[in-house]
Amino acid sequence: MAQIDIRNVQKFFGHLQVLKDLNLTIKDGEFVVMLGQSGGGKTTALRAIAGLETVSSGQILIDGVEVQDRKAADRDIAFVFQSFSLYPHMTVRENIAFPLRAVRMNAADRDKAVTEVASTLQISQHLDRKPSALSGGDMQRVAIGRALVRRPQALLMDEPLGVLDAKLREQMRAEIKRLHIARGSTSVYVTHDQIEAMSLADRIVILHDGVLQQVGAPDEVYLHPTNLFVATFVGSPVMNVNGVRIEGNSVMLNDASRGFTFPDPVLAGLSGGAGGITMGVRPEAVLLRHEPAEGYVQAVTTNIEPLGSHDIVDAQVDGAVLRARTESGFVTGEGQTLWVRIDPAQAHFFDTATGLTLRGAN
Amino acid sequence: MAGVRTSREIVSNRIAVVAVFVALAIMLTPIYWIASTAFKPRNLATTIPPTVVFEPTVSPFVKLFTKRSQLREQPSQEEYDAAPWWEKMVFDGGEKVVRNAKTGDVTLSGYGDRFTNSLIISIVSTMLAVSMGTLTAYGFSRFKVAGEDDWLFFILSTRMLPPVVVAIPMFLMYRVVGLNDTHLGLIIDTAFNLSFSVWIMKGFIDEIPREYEEAALVDGYTRMQAFFKVVLPEALTGMAATAVFCFITAWNEYAFALIMTNRNAQTAPPYIPSQVGSGLPDWTVIAAGTLLFLIPVAIFTFLLRNHLLRGMSFGAIRK
Repeated sequence: MAQIDIRNVQKFFGHLQVLKDLNLTIKDGEFVVMLGQSGGGKTTALRAIAGLETVSSGQILIDGVEVQDRKAADRDIAFVFQSFSLYPHMTVRENIAFPLRAVRMNAADRDKAVTEVASTLQISQHLDRKPSALSGGDMQRVAIGRALVRRPQALLMDEPLGVLDAKLREQMRAEIKRLHIARGSTSVYVTHDQIEAMSLADRIVILHDGVLQQVGAPDEVYLHPTNLFVATFVGSPVMNVNGVRIEGNSVMLNDASRGFTFPDPVLAGLSGGAGGITMGVRPEAVLLRHEPAEGYVQAVTTNIEPLGSHDIVDAQVDGAVLRARTESGFVTGEGQTLWVRIDPAQAHFFDTATGLTLRGAN
Repeated sequence: MAGVRTSREIVSNRIAVVAVFVALAIMLTPIYWIASTAFKPRNLATTIPPTVVFEPTVSPFVKLFTKRSQLREQPSQEEYDAAPWWEKMVFDGGEKVVRNAKTGDVTLSGYGDRFTNSLIISIVSTMLAVSMGTLTAYGFSRFKVAGEDDWLFFILSTRMLPPVVVAIPMFLMYRVVGLNDTHLGLIIDTAFNLSFSVWIMKGFIDEIPREYEEAALVDGYTRMQAFFKVVLPEALTGMAATAVFCFITAWNEYAFALIMTNRNAQTAPPYIPSQVGSGLPDWTVIAAGTLLFLIPVAIFTFLLRNHLLRGMSFGAIRK
């Protein structure tokens, strides 16, 4: 197992720059998830680490050794593809043994390694079948087995659960986590699914337009987003984002005349650039009441999404809509009048023009 | 098909069955004709109306493989009795088998040699076309080639002129370099199959996901090893289909063979019609030669038929 350093990496496809000065250190034994939209550069970054893609400039170090000019075969790294990429003409056993044949391991050791990894992944009963006879989950187990059998320096996974159905994805997510804890392998995992990212990662790396947006533990990324992109990309349902005016201790949504009162010193010294200030509030920080109270603003419900464990309620305040997360059944219908407040501790303020945070939530 | 079938389905099904039988009859009739003629005595070969019921004889095959001459006078009874059964058939047809004056060995016709030539040239040419075509197609499929579309069109354009147009200048060039009437010369000629081979194989290889090779690359293999261990097994189906196609084309090649060869390297296609000769042609001999000529292609196609049905790698990659 090894530490991976990415230093000043740039990658161009023709004139298109897909990685812009990427710097990242993945510590030995760490599980790092690269999160972002498709086209954000996360898969390119992963492929660059693996050696499936060259870098235009910059260094990639594995255990302190520069590898950016080495072939994939010489980097001692394993890769799990979204499509699994199991060789269809080989049995499961042959698939898993394939990387061991490359290093000419003798047959006895090979069998031992394959048997061991197969039992860890609970696919021993499938060893003599062809991949096409397996279920999607088992195919992915085989793909992971093939990656792990060699005990590589690092395990890279490119949306490995992307093609599985929701239920299986949840199950495999847990398995990958268990496997990581058991093996302690340095792992880099690419996904656009923030739930996967939150549940698996030691640290999340958010990439957008080839630029690293934020690196941090899942709760850090969730609670202290450094910019609007991270704030809106992480979290479901998505964070409420509104342009606001700040007057004294009040925050006015858009051009509304009534404002939310915030205690000192939350709003002290906040000033945006030319574009003004944007406030971001997660639905769980939008608090609802049936009766008026100090600090609450009147609102009308416009839509309710009952989700079983909780409801998502759209509350209209003047021209703006705030989505609130409530206990289920709290609001019974549309057009209901209620009172809304924003938890000052969970309000995020951003410079509208740059998208950068003005002050993280406390 | 489960469930109750409507009368309409039954009718359309019957129409389909009838259509298949009609198509089958149209396609099989010439083959039946050749096969039956190959076993007919000469005098029944061209009767009108055609003779359907007859006593089959192998005399056309005997005549096919031997050199014969017209009998000036009937053989003596001793000569006839001493002759083996197949020679009697030739006597019965009013001909005699040509024998070497000194050794008495039977002089063979050219058919066996021509047939062997056909086999050698077709097999070598098919192997070359498929292997080179696969490599070329892989290069075009996986790497950025400057002017790729132009190159591919250029490759295909070698197939666009009728072979006869190409054959004359080729003949002149071959004469200079001494390739006329050689196996190698004809193998090079039939390499025009390469263009189709490249195109067909490119289609197949394009469909093999790159991730297979990438997986092999990170698993510790070189690109060459990845090609042989991962791409090639996946491309086998395509290679088999291409091989059948190339083999049939090479086997049936006529124009080049007619112009470029005359004895040493001549193949069966120009040889068989040359036996029509002057005077009355013996259609039974030609039918026998044609029937034997059909067999290798039929066997080859039959052996590779499973590969022709595609879908071997289906389901191993999820998209």
